[in-house]
Amino acid sequence: MTRAPVAPLLFGAALVLLPWSVVRVFLDTPIERQMGTAQKIFYFHLPMAWICMAFAVVCGIAAVVELRRRSVVAGAVAVASAEMVLIAGLGMLISGPIWGHATWGRAWTWDARQVSAALLWLIFASYVLVRRYGAAGSERLAAALAIFGAAEVPVIYYAVKVWKTTHPTTDVVGSLPPSFWAALWPALCALSALSLGLVLVRVRLELLAQQLERQADS
Amino acid sequence: MNAVLPLELRRVTHWFGSHRVLRDVDLHVESGEIVALMGANGAGKTTLINVVLGLISPQRGERCLAGAPAGELSRVHRAAIGWVAHSPQLYPRLDARENLELFVRLRAAAGARSAPIDEVLVRMGLTHEHDQPVATFSRGMLQRLALARALCSVPELLVLDEPFTALDREGRQQLSRILNDERTRGAGILLATHDAEVASMLADRVLRLHGGSIVAQVSRSELTGTHDEGFRARVMELWTN
Amino acid sequence: MSLVGRDKTSSMGPLPRQAWLLVLHDLRQELREREIVSTTVFFTLVVLVMFGLSFASLGTALHPLIAPGLLWLCVMFVGSMTLTRIFDREREADTLRALLVAPVERLAIYLAKATVTLLVLLACMALLVPGLVVLFPGASALATNPSTTIALVVLGCLGYVAVGTLFAAGLATGSGKHVLLAVVLYPVTSPVLLFALVATRALLEHHPRVMTYLGQMAAVDVLLLVLGAWLFEPVLVGVGRARVP
Repeated sequence: MTRAPVAPLLFGAALVLLPWSVVRVFLDTPIERQMGTAQKIFYFHLPMAWICMAFAVVCGIAAVVELRRRSVVAGAVAVASAEMVLIAGLGMLISGPIWGHATWGRAWTWDARQVSAALLWLIFASYVLVRRYGAAGSERLAAALAIFGAAEVPVIYYAVKVWKTTHPTTDVVGSLPPSFWAALWPALCALSALSLGLVLVRVRLELLAQQLERQADS
Repeated sequence: MNAVLPLELRRVTHWFGSHRVLRDVDLHVESGEIVALMGANGAGKTTLINVVLGLISPQRGERCLAGAPAGELSRVHRAAIGWVAHSPQLYPRLDARENLELFVRLRAAAGARSAPIDEVLVRMGLTHEHDQPVATFSRGMLQRLALARALCSVPELLVLDEPFTALDREGRQQLSRILNDERTRGAGILLATHDAEVASMLADRVLRLHGGSIVAQVSRSELTGTHDEGFRARVMELWTN
Repeated sequence: MSLVGRDKTSSMGPLPRQAWLLVLHDLRQELREREIVSTTVFFTLVVLVMFGLSFASLGTALHPLIAPGLLWLCVMFVGSMTLTRIFDREREADTLRALLVAPVERLAIYLAKATVTLLVLLACMALLVPGLVVLFPGASALATNPSTTIALVVLGCLGYVAVGTLFAAGLATGSGKHVLLAVVLYPVTSPVLLFALVATRALLEHHPRVMTYLGQMAAVDVLLLVLGAWLFEPVLVGVGRARVP
């Protein structure tokens, strides 16, 4: 199928933006007084977290379309998004604790966002497992899993927030002073372009693989 | 007013993963006829039956019931279908009557009428065993009870998946009699079997399913001067080729 | 030729009656053999003993901190086992598919299975909660506030069952694999776990906002039940299109 080469364009943009964001983050942005150089991890951690959440929502929506309209394309989008949730989520779950440990000595703070991220990751990991190892017809079950996953994330987040308010601690939850936001955008754009490009390629791969398998069987 | 007949499947194709299980299958079943679906194990008979019953929605093709396209089978459709599956699908801890009663009561709640249980038990020769737990039944008795349940729905369309395999000679004769009676009543019967003898005796049409496609068909009405032997010979030929 | 009459049932259609028939049917089978109840209650006892052994050395002051986790982890273990057993029985006899081909509301199947699983779980809770209080006296608030405890346990088990029934049924109709149920159930029921943990700990510490948390649990339960009910038929049978070119 002839389409505009969206994925290559995205990769091209990422190729340019990533080095630029590294320059912006490490050279142009001052070192934060309280947290030191390690704070710079945050500029990559936050985009990965957003990408993870965004693709979780995309996967949930694609799963609804896949179930209600039996769309093969929606199924491929769901699989690709779920895999991106796992990748970005892994990056987020690794970079977060590294940053936390480097800045204030606590890798895991049971922050609402941390916990919901970890549980989200587990739900989508089980989604990928079911799709890969489930019997025929388990795609529908997997889709239900994705829908629950996407719907439950706000629930989990709220639950942990409630839990923390009943037992407040003095943990500082990381946030970004306004003057530092300027350095965030390049990193955000770079990683978003990269992840979107990867997902598009993966969707195409999935659709082509299915087509090939079916043709091979005829 | 028919709810499901005539049953029409057009160009039905279905994959399990990358394996194409059914390819471009056309099937139709009318009132008052027995259609036999013959094929070896793995040919796709059970999958095709699952498509007929609405358990599988085919990835390509069309399913029409009583002349109208049917993406899903509504309660009305399902009330008019009787199914005798490969496994008896009975509750072992309940007795024969309780198994049938559950089914009949569920139907009644949906507004579907059913045949009286006692009549069906008599017809299937299960009156003496009606209060024995199903777990104690032999394979043949299980088959009869499963058929009894299907007959309770006085089905418009009766679907049977390999019903003769567990039966002895007497059982086979009884089943043949019942199928003939149902045909006379006006039911449409779809029978999956790999027994060519039975197919040749009972069926009005025999379809051979191989590798997911219908590769050959024989129709009794096609043969002029219908000598049963002629039809039987054609069916045997269909099966052995 | 069809004998189908018009729905003479209630304005909600056959759903309530069919769900009720299926619940009675499952209970009747269980009363005959009592396999599921006895094995799950025994398993509850085993888990209780294991927890007791593992945490016996902790001081009483710590009991309110660990009791919520022990309670709800046990619910998840027992719940997983109950669901597996209930649906294994259906899969062995292939009776679930017979129900799917009969004129039975699919939602009735969901509600019936969820109800039966809930009843079994609550039977296990009748052993677990007193057992926990005995083994961990610091958690005695569970006994001194019986109505709150009961509400808490019912709401938590209900949420678990709402999610678990959908996935257990989905895996039972295919040639589903057991291990997948465990893989799937724990992450997807975690929101229920979290809310239950919050509410239980609040109860044990005599926190003033306990009732608010119970209200939140009820809201989450409603959400999960609606989702589970909505997804049941599409997952089990799929949505069909009349004509696919």
